[in-house]
Amino acid sequence: MRIELKKFGTTLISRQAGKEALAAFQSSLAELKPDENLEVDFGGAITFSPSWGDEFLTPLLNQLGDRLILLPTDNPSVRITVELLERTQDKKFRRA
Amino acid sequence: MEEKLLTITEAAEILGVSVDTLRRWDKSGKLVAIRKEGGTHRYYRQSDLEIFASDLVKLAHDWINDGMELPVTFYCSNSSIFQARLAKMQDALMRSGTFDFILPLIVAVAGEIGNNSFDHNLGRWPDIPGIFFGYDIGKRRVVLADRGLGVLATLKRVRPELKNHLEALRVAFTEIVSGRAPEARGNGLKFVRQVVAENPISLFFRSGDAELRLKKDNDQLFITRSHINTHGCFAVIEF
Repeated sequence: MRIELKKFGTTLISRQAGKEALAAFQSSLAELKPDENLEVDFGGAITFSPSWGDEFLTPLLNQLGDRLILLPTDNPSVRITVELLERTQDKKFRRA
Repeated sequence: MEEKLLTITEAAEILGVSVDTLRRWDKSGKLVAIRKEGGTHRYYRQSDLEIFASDLVKLAHDWINDGMELPVTFYCSNSSIFQARLAKMQDALMRSGTFDFILPLIVAVAGEIGNNSFDHNLGRWPDIPGIFFGYDIGKRRVVLADRGLGVLATLKRVRPELKNHLEALRVAFTEIVSGRAPEARGNGLKFVRQVVAENPISLFFRSGDAELRLKKDNDQLFITRSHINTHGCFAVIEF
């Protein structure tokens, strides 16, 4: 399954918005098969911050582990955010 | 051609403050009105209002110190208003077409500093809730300020051994720690530091009597004592 973050907006900044996005995504997540991966597509998202990322990506990483795959992006706000989340969680995201 | 003078009501509407505030600002010299010869009514030049509203650093600084009414353009009373204005800034930066690679980083840094103000002060604002948020794309500057608890009081809840504002700023920008423990959160300022260290963006940040400067493309922290004591936080981002 692939999730396009741009569907949640182009400015992914606040904790509240990250939390709401995760809640909205739960019904789709329920359809993910036990052996299926979830790919996160950052295309079209302009600004990405640790607050939003921590509310959305961190719970997914804890829940899915290696089944969560981050697709490549040139966006520097994504790269620095993902690195910071890895340091705070002491866990690595799987990259495609 | 002589510039048309605006009445005090028109000026109040443009700045988004009350007429009483403009009268107070006139008396205190903060924004001096014009009086026609022999008259008592106050008038304003549009250009004077623009100059007044463009001094973001002074406006934010004065608000932190005296808590007087702010032009409504710069006041975000809650996080939703801040998010909406941040998205507007992102659009304006995109329209300018000159920032390209660092655009998401400018928005994210401003977002994290503003979010921090709301996240750490929610339900605990000492007097006026909300933040000052202003930007000037021409001058390549963003200014944020709050009248919240400040970094030391926030971090002391999880780091009671912190002795002063200088130590608090160092911890906030370097160590993975949460001011909202036991929740694992509150590391936005580490993100800010890394972004500045790797990009042509600089930051001035003051809380209490401590000032921190992060310089463009430099990962060193310059923390010094300030002669000004700021309640809450005050930040200037330049890019």
